[in-house]
Amino acid sequence: MLEVTDLHIEIEDSLIPETVVEDFDIEVSAGEIVGIVGESGSGKSMSAHAIAGLLSRKDMKKRGRIVFEGEELLGMERSRLRSIQGDDIAVVFQEPMTSLNPVKTIGWQVEEALRIHRDMTDEEYKERAIQMMRDVEINEPEKRYYQYPHELSGGLRQRVMIAAALICDPKLLIADEPTTALDVTIQAQIIELLKRINSKKGTAILFISHDLGVIRTLCSRVVVMNKGRIVESGPVEQVFNAPAEEYTKQLIGAIPQFAKVAPYYDISGKKPILEVKNVSARYKKITGYFTPGARQKLTVKNASFVMYEGQIMGLVGESGSGKTTLGKTILGMLDDTSGEIVHYSRMPQMIFQDPYGSLNPAKRVGWILTEPMRIKGGSTKEEQREKAASMLELVGLDRTFMDRKTSALSGGQRQRVCIALALMQEPKLIIADEPVSALDVTVQRQVINLLVRLNKELGIAILFISHDLKVVYELCSHIIVMKSGEIVEQGTDEQIYNNPGHPYTKQLLSSAGYVKSD
Amino acid sequence: MKDLMFRIRKNPELYTGAVIAAVISFILIAGFLFSPYDPNAMSAAEKFAAPSVSHLLGCDNFGRDLFTRLCVGGVTTLFIALATVSIGVVFGTIVGAFTGYYGGAVDEVLMRFNDAVLAFPSILLALVFISVFGSGTFKVIISLGIVFVPSFARIVRGEYLRCRNLDYVRSARLMGAGDLRIMFVHILPNTFPVLLSSTVIGFNNAVLAEASMSFLGIGVQPPDSSLGRMLSDAQAFLFSEPSYAILTGCTIAVIVLGFSLLGEGLKKHA
Repeated sequence: MLEVTDLHIEIEDSLIPETVVEDFDIEVSAGEIVGIVGESGSGKSMSAHAIAGLLSRKDMKKRGRIVFEGEELLGMERSRLRSIQGDDIAVVFQEPMTSLNPVKTIGWQVEEALRIHRDMTDEEYKERAIQMMRDVEINEPEKRYYQYPHELSGGLRQRVMIAAALICDPKLLIADEPTTALDVTIQAQIIELLKRINSKKGTAILFISHDLGVIRTLCSRVVVMNKGRIVESGPVEQVFNAPAEEYTKQLIGAIPQFAKVAPYYDISGKKPILEVKNVSARYKKITGYFTPGARQKLTVKNASFVMYEGQIMGLVGESGSGKTTLGKTILGMLDDTSGEIVHYSRMPQMIFQDPYGSLNPAKRVGWILTEPMRIKGGSTKEEQREKAASMLELVGLDRTFMDRKTSALSGGQRQRVCIALALMQEPKLIIADEPVSALDVTVQRQVINLLVRLNKELGIAILFISHDLKVVYELCSHIIVMKSGEIVEQGTDEQIYNNPGHPYTKQLLSSAGYVKSD
Repeated sequence: MKDLMFRIRKNPELYTGAVIAAVISFILIAGFLFSPYDPNAMSAAEKFAAPSVSHLLGCDNFGRDLFTRLCVGGVTTLFIALATVSIGVVFGTIVGAFTGYYGGAVDEVLMRFNDAVLAFPSILLALVFISVFGSGTFKVIISLGIVFVPSFARIVRGEYLRCRNLDYVRSARLMGAGDLRIMFVHILPNTFPVLLSSTVIGFNNAVLAEASMSFLGIGVQPPDSSLGRMLSDAQAFLFSEPSYAILTGCTIAVIVLGFSLLGEGLKKHA
């Protein structure tokens, strides 16, 4: 049905034209689910967008052949291409928050493709839209039809996107990381939905993801991409069980596997390092002087736990569960809190989730690292630079990084610099807020190994905040589960993973695909 | 070389603007420094003398060398604009930093005052200040400078609002950095890209504001020359000696063209 041969994409945006996709071949037959997997910058989205006819920028040069149902899509008349887009080929994007138009009703957006491609009465449009919303398992479609995107949750929005894409019964659905921005439990539901649509309607799906686990459960064939080229392709089982290429092996080896990475931790005889007693927190909305904001609802309710020196504690929960807020409360970053927090060591340091926001883009690495010492005073310039350089080496970067601008660093390098910055202040406890979520799997693996090494060599305790139960399993000896601001369960890894008491914990574990070990 | 061509093609405004602004500033400054004539020396015999080797652009109604007067007037205008914008940027940044960073009552009070200043047409406001301070070059600078503060305050405030909750600011707070240090060492450099292009555009507005004020006779006082002052003098001879008004007007136009292209280019570049 779809046959792509020898696709090349070049961007002429900079002086030297950059080839982003080279020798790309892919074949999708009717009713098949094919996955494209790769790390950021591998060209997977580019290729998919080219197939969907979405790369129309003047400075992008495309060569090769994209044949869909016997028709060449590259260089096709705009008007003919438009009649295929949205009708025979539909696309679902990654970001459910921005890919819906905020000023149009859900019904309008689901119907839009239908209105463009089919000639029907308004009643028929509405009927089809509601039927489609029911097909993608949106509850109360008659009510949702008149709602606006902001009234819907992320998962529902992604269902709306899928409904809008499928309304014309496309032969091919291109899904560009459709589950990446969603929580694990919702992610699992969307994957199930795509599977059902595929078997019920026979829609072929081209599924793009960086998540090898998702690709494995969903696709029958997979294409592995790296640096704009196809590294390996074949049936999913073959690629995953017997990867032929070094890169594929490395990629698969980096997937968290529910295998312990951190050394065994015994609590007995250890001194406490942090005690959190009945802590509640709410966000105070910063508003104008004349319009005092209403007090926000509690984002953390009555949380209590103890951490011991050298311990790696996992704090898990979905988005909005209050886990980040709890972390910030411990560091005293919020104003409106109650309860007691006892620090038995000096102030903990924090590593943030987004490595692009946590380093000042206007400064150099060396300046950022030496800033805590400058603030504290009492050290010479040489001492400051020497210490910063040694911290860089500790996190696996060489001294030349001292003079680099932060904007020139990759995500993994940034996260290492953030860790080095935390270490500059010689903390006994580091609060790591989703430190690896924004990173590619291979880089993620390196950062996890670094954290384990710091824990082992320097005895630094880590409060590891994450939504990823696999990574938490690898690192943590104790786990706290949070839901809607409350700690629903806490205990050792053994208790939480093999004997979960709370239904929510069970649900999280099954979404993450955990199988009980003995 | 190829690299330069490519950059020019990517952002032609920036490079044309930079060249025009540099050339006109160079000519004006060179003429100001090296012209053999006294800009205020009158000579009845040379009244409206035609352009010649000794008087490149001829003479004005008092027989003063027009090129020299244009250069001196141009430099005065550029100086007033530069000083005005500097006042605007410095005080605007301080106000913007405090309001954007702290929010709350500080923000409400200062920004409402800001809005009040912005609500008046800038020339009208400058007129009020002039009538309070009196006219003259330095008083013009101060009056226009005050008028320019609010627009910069608004721009800088926006940048501080954007930055104050970013993780690197939080991380600086965790290191124990004080508010002033966070405001002026950590955040300030991040406002430069936006601030730079608005400074250049503000410079332009200042050139025009000075020209209009002097044209109305409340800016630079005779016998000192400034472009607006000269335009006002030339008015009387618009039909008999149009070249006087045209040359003066063109000088202003070229300055404004150069700096606005430069400003647009910087905006695109940021």
